[in-house]
Amino acid sequence: MGPLAGFKIVEMFCIGPGPFAGMMLADMGADVLRVDRPVERDYGYPDHKYRTLYRNRRSVALDLNTDEGHETLMRLIEQADGLIEGNRPGVAEKLGMGPDVCLERNPKLVYGRMTGYGQDGPLAQKAGFDINYISMSGALHAVGHADRPPVPPLILAGDFGGGGMFLATGMLAAMLEAGRSGEGQVVDASMVDGSAALMSYIYGGHAAGAWANERESNTVDGGHYVYHAYECADGKYVSVGALLDNFFENLRDKLALDPAEFPTRTTRDTWPAKREKLADVFKTRTRDEWVELFADTDACLAPVLDLEEAPHHPHNMERKTFTEHGGVVQPSPAPKFSRTPSEIVREPPTNGQHTDEALTDWGFDAAELAHLHERNAIH
Amino acid sequence: MASGPLNGYKIIELAGIGPAPFCAMLLADMGAEIIRVDRTIPADLGLPQPREFSVLERGRKRIAVDLKQADGVQTVLRLVGQADALIEGFRPGVTERIGLGPEDCWAHNERLVYGRMTGWGQDGPMATAAGHDINYIALAGVLNAFGPKDRRPLPPLNLVGDFGGGGIYLALGVVSALLEAQKSGKGQVVDAAMVDGAASLGAAIYGMYAAGTIVGERESNIVDGGAHFYGSYKTKDDKYVTIGSIEGKFYEELLEKTGLTHEDLPDPRERSNWDGYREKMAEVFETKTRDEWDQIMLGSDICYAPVLTFDEAPKHPHNAARGTFVEIDGVTQPGPAPRFSRTPSAVQSPPEDTGANTDEVLTAWGFSAEELDRLHDAKAIA
Repeated sequence: MGPLAGFKIVEMFCIGPGPFAGMMLADMGADVLRVDRPVERDYGYPDHKYRTLYRNRRSVALDLNTDEGHETLMRLIEQADGLIEGNRPGVAEKLGMGPDVCLERNPKLVYGRMTGYGQDGPLAQKAGFDINYISMSGALHAVGHADRPPVPPLILAGDFGGGGMFLATGMLAAMLEAGRSGEGQVVDASMVDGSAALMSYIYGGHAAGAWANERESNTVDGGHYVYHAYECADGKYVSVGALLDNFFENLRDKLALDPAEFPTRTTRDTWPAKREKLADVFKTRTRDEWVELFADTDACLAPVLDLEEAPHHPHNMERKTFTEHGGVVQPSPAPKFSRTPSEIVREPPTNGQHTDEALTDWGFDAAELAHLHERNAIH
Repeated sequence: MASGPLNGYKIIELAGIGPAPFCAMLLADMGAEIIRVDRTIPADLGLPQPREFSVLERGRKRIAVDLKQADGVQTVLRLVGQADALIEGFRPGVTERIGLGPEDCWAHNERLVYGRMTGWGQDGPMATAAGHDINYIALAGVLNAFGPKDRRPLPPLNLVGDFGGGGIYLALGVVSALLEAQKSGKGQVVDAAMVDGAASLGAAIYGMYAAGTIVGERESNIVDGGAHFYGSYKTKDDKYVTIGSIEGKFYEELLEKTGLTHEDLPDPRERSNWDGYREKMAEVFETKTRDEWDQIMLGSDICYAPVLTFDEAPKHPHNAARGTFVEIDGVTQPGPAPRFSRTPSAVQSPPEDTGANTDEVLTAWGFSAEELDRLHDAKAIA
């Protein structure tokens, strides 16, 4: 039972960051009801249980093209604290479920809108994916090797860190406000905005002249030899993040580096040569030997784990950073709450798996359900 | 009066660097009153810069308190008594030693939400080890997935640890616990760890990996730059463009606009074809400038965008029209996100210097002139 127990959210069919926000709220205990379409597209998953973003909630299948299906949705929205939708701007309005319609039915509704480019602006109607949005915020240009094109950090900076997280946080802030004012509002979360916001610190550094536009030439972009992933004797990697002087001194001592050659403060032009030198040093032992050697040293060194290894690392095991649920190893709910812990209680649903059960809980009686089935409004 | 949905909420920030200040910035942008408690003697982090460039510190008042003195700790506890939440980013156990741990604070205010930001989390064998973003995302299993396959993994700056997997997780947890405290009348600890957060950002990735639809090698999957139809390409003028043409109809448009055909690129979903196809695609993109590709691609549904630098992004017509970036004290920076229709967020004020508002804040929070004099004399505040 997480901190959001008792709050009700309607999540309209969408993919990527919208469901991620739905997962965050559902992990924290909100009753998130996913409204799916009667016919599901094939996204290539061998089984629903692998669609981790859809965990912890129930699915109802509605046909919004029927009057009864639309009215069913409106009855759900009347009872909800928040709504998540991820259509292109204007589509929800065309479906007769835009903010005006919904807020009229439920004045305290927090209406969460998740898009790439935002609700307005010249590109608002453009198709796009994570990589496009983070390229518009200046984030992508900064990620990658100096002599190669930028590489996307998967879809973590757009869809999730810069997308769903901003929607979820904004919706909860608006729900707090609605608790006082009795009024809902629209939350416009765009991945361009969100990935830009993640870059706030970097933009400040760039304005100060401390952060260069070139990739792999700054403190935390892999340019600095103290902040780097180094290959080890076994082809695995260690991450070194010894940015602060005292940590770097510990690293230097342990690696027996010459303080004259490796002073704590250096200029950018010396970094590539020092990177090469350290690369040679780290090739002399295996990853796990380095981790062992640095076990009791504050030098900011950690093993680079792959997706197979991370869930089994002793620290992650003890923290339960990962959970196996329904046979699928997946990241656990985060952050952690001391009094009202979040947990995974449901596997990802199939479309309409809970139509009757959930609608009953949301106040529909048996006769109404029978009627809606008969009209093909629900499935 | 601050604008934003969190107007009226009061939050104490024990000064730190990185993710906790980012959390405080997000909450301040949304209208919360944040009081940042700095040390009386600033820490030398080797990264000095004028206050206006410290974007993460915008939107809040700053007081300087000596937490090594009992008077200093008592001063903070009086603020805690009036606050909705506290956020801190010390190693586990440090605030307890200072006398500002959760129990100390709840003795003054049982409703207080106590937000803790760390890399490794509050427990576990590595809890007290030093670390930075790159280490935390390494342990979460995600660093290994970033970068070209023939090179070492590369940190995506500190976006996935400090910020996307760190500060915003704390912000989400704090507002969630505030909602709960309204019902229960009780606060609790929010333990936001960057290892957990970075792993959580990978929830979909771990699911796909378990399903066998992605592989563990870098640059070998669709969204890691492995597929020829999802990635960035260099243009004739040494700039870059991105394409994300995953869906079939978008892919058809991509072929049409690049002049490539299915005969050139048979069986495009087959992984073993991708390296060669990326090269073919790269050759095409090198034949025109980025602006020329803008002209060709922007009218289509290819899922295309130019790759913008820090200097270009704020000026792009879309970002300019949306006001995605703002200028505060001459510093161009991302504006508040997300956006609220009725209670808009705002950059409430520029970053302040350490201790710039000590007397003003303490007076507003109920300290008398005599008390301030005494605390100044004792050097408990500055």
